[in-house]
This record gives sequence, C-alpha cells and structure tokens, in this order.
Amino acid sequence: MGIGEIIIISAVKILVIVGLLLLMVSYLTYFERKISAWAQNRIGPNRVGWKGLLQPFADVFKLLLKEDIVPERANKMIHTIAPIIALFVAFSTFAVIPFGPDVHLFGYDIQLVVADVNIGILFVLALTSLGVYSLTLAGWSSGSKYSLLGGIRSSAQMISYEISMGFSVGGVLLLAESLRPIAIVDSQAGWMWNAVVQPIGFITFTVAAFAETSRLPFDLPEAEPELVGGFHTEYSSMKFAGFFLAEYANMIIASALIVTLYLGGWQIPYIELLELPSWLLVILQIGAFIFKLFALLFFFIWVRWSIPRFRYDQLMNLGWKVMFPLSLINIIWVALLIMIFGL
Amino acid sequence: MEKKAAKIRKKDLTFLQKIYIPEIMKGLALTFRNMIRPKFTFEYPEEKFIPSGSYRGRPVLVEEKNGEERCVACGLCSRVCPALAIDVQAAETEREKERYPEKFEIDMLRCIFCGFCEEVCPEEAIVMSKDYELAFSSREEAIYGKDKLLVPVDQLQDRIDFLRQYK
Amino acid sequence: MPTIIIDEQEVEFQPGETIIQAARHHGIEIPHFCWHPELSVPGNCRICLVEVDKMPKLVIACSTIASEGMVVHTKSEKTIDAQNAVMEFILINHPLDCPICDEAGECKLQDYAYNYSVGESRFIEEKNRKQKHVELGPRVMFDGERCISCSRCIRFCDEIAKKPELTFVQRGDRVTITTYPGQPMVNPYSMNTIDICPVGALTNIDFRFKARVWDMSSTKSICTGCSRGCNIDIWVRNNEILRLTPRYNEQVNSYWMCDDGRLNTFKYVNADDRVDSPQIRGEGQLRKVEWEEAFDETVSRIKSFSKDEIAFVGSAHATCEDNYIFAKFARSVIGCGNIDFVQHIDPEFGDDILRVNDVAPNAMGAKLTGVSPSKSGLDIDGIKKAIREGKVKALYILEDDIITEDPQFENIITKLDLLVVHSTNHNKTTALADIIFPASAYAEKNGTFVNINKIVQRIRPAITTVDTDRALDGMEMSRLDKFGTEFDRWATGVKVDAKASWKILVSLSGLFDHKMKFNMAEEVFADMAKNIDAFKGLNYDDVGDSGVKLNYQFIEQKVKA
Repeated sequence: MGIGEIIIISAVKILVIVGLLLLMVSYLTYFERKISAWAQNRIGPNRVGWKGLLQPFADVFKLLLKEDIVPERANKMIHTIAPIIALFVAFSTFAVIPFGPDVHLFGYDIQLVVADVNIGILFVLALTSLGVYSLTLAGWSSGSKYSLLGGIRSSAQMISYEISMGFSVGGVLLLAESLRPIAIVDSQAGWMWNAVVQPIGFITFTVAAFAETSRLPFDLPEAEPELVGGFHTEYSSMKFAGFFLAEYANMIIASALIVTLYLGGWQIPYIELLELPSWLLVILQIGAFIFKLFALLFFFIWVRWSIPRFRYDQLMNLGWKVMFPLSLINIIWVALLIMIFGL
Repeated sequence: MEKKAAKIRKKDLTFLQKIYIPEIMKGLALTFRNMIRPKFTFEYPEEKFIPSGSYRGRPVLVEEKNGEERCVACGLCSRVCPALAIDVQAAETEREKERYPEKFEIDMLRCIFCGFCEEVCPEEAIVMSKDYELAFSSREEAIYGKDKLLVPVDQLQDRIDFLRQYK
Repeated sequence: MPTIIIDEQEVEFQPGETIIQAARHHGIEIPHFCWHPELSVPGNCRICLVEVDKMPKLVIACSTIASEGMVVHTKSEKTIDAQNAVMEFILINHPLDCPICDEAGECKLQDYAYNYSVGESRFIEEKNRKQKHVELGPRVMFDGERCISCSRCIRFCDEIAKKPELTFVQRGDRVTITTYPGQPMVNPYSMNTIDICPVGALTNIDFRFKARVWDMSSTKSICTGCSRGCNIDIWVRNNEILRLTPRYNEQVNSYWMCDDGRLNTFKYVNADDRVDSPQIRGEGQLRKVEWEEAFDETVSRIKSFSKDEIAFVGSAHATCEDNYIFAKFARSVIGCGNIDFVQHIDPEFGDDILRVNDVAPNAMGAKLTGVSPSKSGLDIDGIKKAIREGKVKALYILEDDIITEDPQFENIITKLDLLVVHSTNHNKTTALADIIFPASAYAEKNGTFVNINKIVQRIRPAITTVDTDRALDGMEMSRLDKFGTEFDRWATGVKVDAKASWKILVSLSGLFDHKMKFNMAEEVFADMAKNIDAFKGLNYDDVGDSGVKLNYQFIEQKVKA
C-alpha cells in the first residue's frame, strides 16, 4: 500500500467513525431521555417524529438558535476554547479503539481501527487526562463562583480516579503483554475475557470510568442542586452543546474501552467452531462489539437514573481508600495468576 | 456541669450493605422493574382526562333550562372567596327573585379552585365544573364574564348530584 | 341614685328609666326589635323578655320601669328559652331570602337569629305570601313578607316626622303596613324608616341592590345639605359614594337626617362634570393644564392688578380650613381687604325638626375664620357694585357657584379681567372663569364645619383623589380596598385630579414669596386654634367624632362685629 492509499483509507475511516459517533451521541441523548422516562414510569419524548425519534435534531436546532451568552467577567478566549478541548479529546480518543477484526475489502486488508498504535492504551489514558483541562478551564474562565467550584471539583475528581484507572489497566497489560488495543483484544480469545479473569480490575475500572466521564453517581462537577450547573453554568447555545456532546462521546469511549479491555472487544467466544464464512464472521463480530457497547451504554444510563450522587467526602474516600487499594490488589492477583498458571 | 457524652450515630449496616455492591444491584433492579412496567400516562391533547363529579375545575354559573341564571347576586361567593376573584354587581329584575347579577366576573388569575363559592352558594347557582383547560394570553382574557361563566344545567348534573350527596 | 342588679352587676339608674334603658346605659345589650331609644314603647316584639326575681312571669325590659333592688337576669335559662321561642315565632313567616335582601349584613333579625336563636324551625307549613315590591313613597320600597310588624316606621312617622302616613292593616299573620289610599309616604324624613327597620322590609330605592354592606367602607362625616350639620356615614365602594346614612349625635341630629341630605348631597362627587385637573381659558376655550402651569399663570395674572382691584369671595360650602387659608391668602399675601362670602338661604327649606334655611354647611365657619371684609374692604354687595363700576377687575372665588346663587352676578362678571375659581364641578361660574382649580369635594378631604348651633364638627376623606392614598392617608378601607391591585377591575374606581382648596392656596402663596408651612388640614386647624379666639385650644382629637360647641362669647362678639 502506498502512502496515498493509507491516507485515503484513514480519511474514510475517520469520516465514518466521526459520523457514526456524532449520530450515536445524538441518539444517546434520546435514549437517555427515554430510559429515564421508563425508569420513572413515563413515556418520554414522543412529539418529534415517530416515537420522538427526531427529538435529537430538534434539540440541536434549538441549541443552534439560542443566543450565545458570554459573561462579562469571563476570559473570552479560554471560555471559547474549553468546549473545543472537550470535543477534541472525546473524538480523538476514538482513533485507537478497534471495533472489529481485520477485513478484506476492495483488495485491501483493512484494520477496523483508525490508527493501530503501539501505545494505544497509553494514548487513551493521556488524552482522557487532558479532558480534565476542558472542565477546569471552563470553570475558571467563566468568572462565576459556581463554575469555579465545579471546575476545581472536576480536577480533584479526575486526578483521584485516574490513579485507580491506571492501576486497573495495569492488570490487563500484564496479561496482554502489549499496549496495542488489537493485541489486548486478541489476548482475550475464548472465555479469557479480562472481566472474568480479573473481576476486581473490571469493577474498579468501570467505577473509575464513571468518575472520569462525570456521570452519576459521580457528577459532582455539575451537581445541579449545589452548583447550579457546575463548570457549564455560564455556557449557552452551541458551546453548551459542545460539553453536552463531549459528555456523551466520553461515555461511548469509556464503554468502548471497557469492551476492549475487559469484555473481549469484538470477540464472540468459540464462534470459530461454527466455521462460518469469513464475511459473516466479520459482520457478527462487529455486531458483537456494537452489542457490548450498547449494553454498557444502557448500563451507564441505567445507573444514572438509579443511584444518587455521592457527597464530596464520600467521593474522595471511595477514590483513595477503596478504589486505589483494590486496583493494587488486582495487579497482585494478576501477577499471581501469571506466576501460578503461567498465562 | 455534667458532661454530655458525644452522641455517636450508630450505623446498623450489615457487612453486605457495607460493601455497597449488593445494594446498588437492588437499586438497579428496582429501576429496571419500573422500566418494563406498563405506563399509564395520558397523552394529553389527544387523550383527555375526564374527571368525576368530585373534581373541582373552573367555577361556572348554572343556567336554567329557560336560559336564565340561577344566581341572585347575593355576593356571598364574592365575600367568601379567599382570593377575591369574584366580582358581582347586582341589579333589579321583574322576575320573582327580584335580584340578578348584572355583572358577574371571575378573575381566573386570582381563582384558586378552592370551591368555597360553591359551598357557600344558597342557590346552587355557582358550581365547580370539570373544565381544567384554562389558558390566556392577557390579563383581560383571564377575566371571565357571564358570557363564559353561564353553563346549561344539563352539563353540570354530575357535580350537582355529587354536591347533593356529600355537601 | 337607686340601683338594680342586672346579671349580678349592680347598675345605677335614673328614676323612671326602663330596664332596657338602664342596661343600655351600662353597656348591657338586651335584644330589641320594636323598642327604639327615641320612639315610644309599644312592647309588641317580645324579644326583650327578661327574668326578674319575684315576678311571676317574664317581663319585657322595654316597658318595665326599673325600681330599687330589682334583680334582672338577661342570660338565665328562662330568658334564653323565651328568646328562642320569640325568634322561632318571628321567623315562622319571615322569608329565607337573605341572599336577595339588601339588609343582609346589617340586619337585626339576622344578628339575633345568630345570637339568640337555635337555628331550627319546627314550622313545616307554607309561609305566608304577602305583597312584595311595594313603593310606599318615591324613596322607600316595602316588602310585606319580610316585615315583622315592629311598628317602628309607623311610630317614626307619627312621632318624629310628625306626619302620620303609615299604618297597620289586617290582623294576625296577615297584618301588613300600608299608606293611606292615594297618599304615598312623602314626608322629608321618610328614609329614616329604612335605617330603623330591623329587617329588610323597607329598603332604599336609590341604593337598592347597588352593593353589599360588607363590600363598602364607611367614613364618619357631616352632611352638607344645610347648616344643621347632621352626622353621617359615607358608604364607599370602588372609590364611589353609594349612600349616606345618619350617624347618632345627640346634640345635633339624634339618629336622623332628612331625605334631601341623604340623596342630594353626594351625587355631585361621583358626577361626570367634576373638574378634573386645572384648566386655563385660552382663546375662549378651557384647556386642561398641569398644576405648575396653572399656578404660574394665576400668580402672574394676579400680580398685574393692584390690590384694590382684586376681590375675594369665600364660601359657606368650603371647610373652615379652606376659608381660613383663603382669608390669610387675601389679607397677608395679596394685602387685600375685599373679602366676603355669599349666604345660601332657602326660606322654603327649613322646618322645626332638623332642616334649617341656611342650606350651606359652613356659613358660621366662614365668618369665624375671617371671610368678612376688613374695615376699609368691600362686602359682597360692595364687591358687586365695584365690579359693575369697573373698580374691581379680578375676582377670586372659593368653591361657590355664585352665579346660580345670585343671578345678578351673571351680567357683571363678564366685566372682569380675571376670574379665578376653585370648584368641584363645572357650573355657571366656571363657565365664565379664566382659571379653574379643581377642588376636592367634602368627601375627599379632612376639615371642619361649624354648624348653625356653633358646633364644630369634622369631615374626613372617604374617597381618594389623585393626590391622596387610602392606606397612607389613614382612610377607612373596605376589604376590597385592602387587597385590591391595579389589575382588579373592582379596585380601579375613578380618581379625580383635585386638591383641597387650602392646599392649592398654600402652593400659590409660595409663588408669591410668602411661604405657608402647612402639610395637613390638622396643621391648618392648629394654626386656627392659635389665632382665632373661638377655636382657642382645640385640636382634631378634641373635635372627635361628635363635635365640640365653640366658645359662645367669642362667637357672639365676632358675629356682631
């Protein structure tokens, strides 16, 4: 493959991924509203389009038509940049997530990942850590005490949970002996899903993922009852929509990561025994990835409408006194497994 | 002075509750059960709630079959109204009941649907209807005069029966 | 003084007093329908039955003369039983039409049914039907069914109005009241029967169904119909006067007032022809202007005359305060002694009951407060003559329609170069005026009137003008006034842009570089009390609700002078 072809293939992949991601994000908001309605014995949006299916577009149009208000005392440039950072981080992380096995198309071998980077997982961790800047800067630049408090909370929360997240991933890396997401997926063939092998790591990573995406029960940065809207109190119109989209994009990334790291990625256990034609296999495997992804997204939403927010001290206690030791225990557990079974 | 022992709140949580995860599962199970339960939402503009006779919608004046109002403009509803929503101006008429309301206005922005007017009315002339669809775009529109208040007695039979039974 | 014991309370009484009188003087209320303190005692309603020790039966308190050592029980079991029985009896044929009846809210029968009755009737037969809606006279409507035959109205006509126009006819439960055939009740005091009627049998044709009593505020005031100065209550709803009722004052009008005062002295206040905002005549037409413009115009035009070319006409319709400031304005500010006022005498009006021939309320007050010519000044005839001769070129009139009163003025007033008028309503005089100031009517301001018997009495504001505020100025407020907002249609009555005359004159004085420091009518009265002997030492609190007789000697001297 020449460099030109690689660029074209990558561009197509990027376009497809970004397009799909945007569509997913907008429909995720729709499902969030629907599921919350069901959990509360309501019907949910049902006015725009059949069963309210066009609601996300109505929301986008509404946000587009809203006046963009920038507070007088805000740092205008940073105020504008913050939501861009949030979006950038959210979307670029997706570059290293594999969503299917290699396919043979139009005479090319194509990997179903935008960039098969050696240090993929490190890239993800690095970028998601950058995400905290968007919240902190948004909070600081708004020139409002509620925003500032929200920003500070988010940075403290992110740092605390980044640690247990990192250590949880450690266990996965020990087993996979690679930072390449594709290698990690391959290492979970059969029932050797990391969720089964190292359940503690799975739980700590999942909890940390909730915290990193600031979803309930860890949505302290926005904490409506105390902080109005937290870091995004002073945002309106499309800038607000930026944060909104980023939050849902982050949810998708977190879910995709969990799928990749702990739930065997696109793998369907023992499907090779059926000896299906390869095109069907690929489609099934992509389907498996999407199914797992959606199951996790549903879980994210489900949890949000079931569990109340933590208090700030509870959040810190949990992060440092529970999650951190547990993730260490998980590493030891994995190390023991490797020592004993020589995995 | 006797020193008060600091009160320590004893948490009577079991081990299972302390590790939190089973409790989260319970919570999740509860919301999930509700998700799949049938919904009983009225989809309002298409589907309308039809209240029973005990419902207190907007107060209306009873119009007799001959097209006359029952009201004799005694002003008791106006007096008892805690929100001062009712304004009555009486005048003289040739009918047997010498008095009738020349003007009868209810300010629906003031009305609180308490039903005192109906309770105090000696003529069973003002009753609470089933009408709950009240929307206005100006203060003037919210003042309902006799034209809007008079409702034929047939349409109010439910409420009148309810009142005769329970008032 | 001899004493009797009423409900274990020892009560002194004048020999000859009845039990009900003795009790009443000590604040013990014995229920009564037919008894009235100013009328004879028929003893026919029986509600005042009381138990008296050593008497074999209950006695009626209204006609039993109190005697030394009597022991009366007004709340004993027997008495209460008797009251219940009487109430039940009276209510047998009384229709249950309180919702329609105008008396509801101030009805003795309603109150007593609440206080002295068990509220149940054993009577299941049809109630009697009698004539309703009978016009006894042009001003009084009679409803036969409501009548409880107390005969108060009959006795009033016989004893107070001295015109026996009413009588009972029929007997038993068919008894009813009527006038003599073809002779309606027209006596000038007929409407007092409405007030004393304990039920709604007699109602006011003018006020019928206009308002509920509990929706109105009532303000203590004085009738302006003649110089008797009958005490009245002004009943107001939505800033509109709806009726006047007499208020008890032993030394002036007792419980009564005449029909003329009751009907004809308040309608101009609500009328459409009120002067609303100051007006200046330009090119033959009156046009409304701002107060400041009217003040400036008045000052500059008055300044163009020498002080002998100006004359001032005070008013027997204005308050003492207005006249006092008016006189002060003429003498001290302008330096002019041509000041007098027009008497309003109607020789047909007076009678030997309440009405007097002087049909303005405050002629005595105008005289006392200095509205009379100085030694070299012109009196009203002198002013008339001087205008005719062209010596007086400017005339300043206070709240009086002198052309209607004295048609001679009509021809000569056109000779004037300047006519300034304070007036409540447009009339023949304002039709010729160059500058009109809108004056508050008597129901819109504080002030005092001195009646023909030299009793000074207060009027109080009952309705608001643009200048006044019901809450801030401490006026009487009805329920509707208290809770009304600018959006409530029942609280948006007409407010006239008028001011009390003394206020207008104080503002004018300021522009003549002669500041008077008065903000309230009370302060003007205090100044009067300082400077006028007749009012010496008085203030508004002393005058109070029932008035004070002025120092007689001073008045004699003043009036003679």
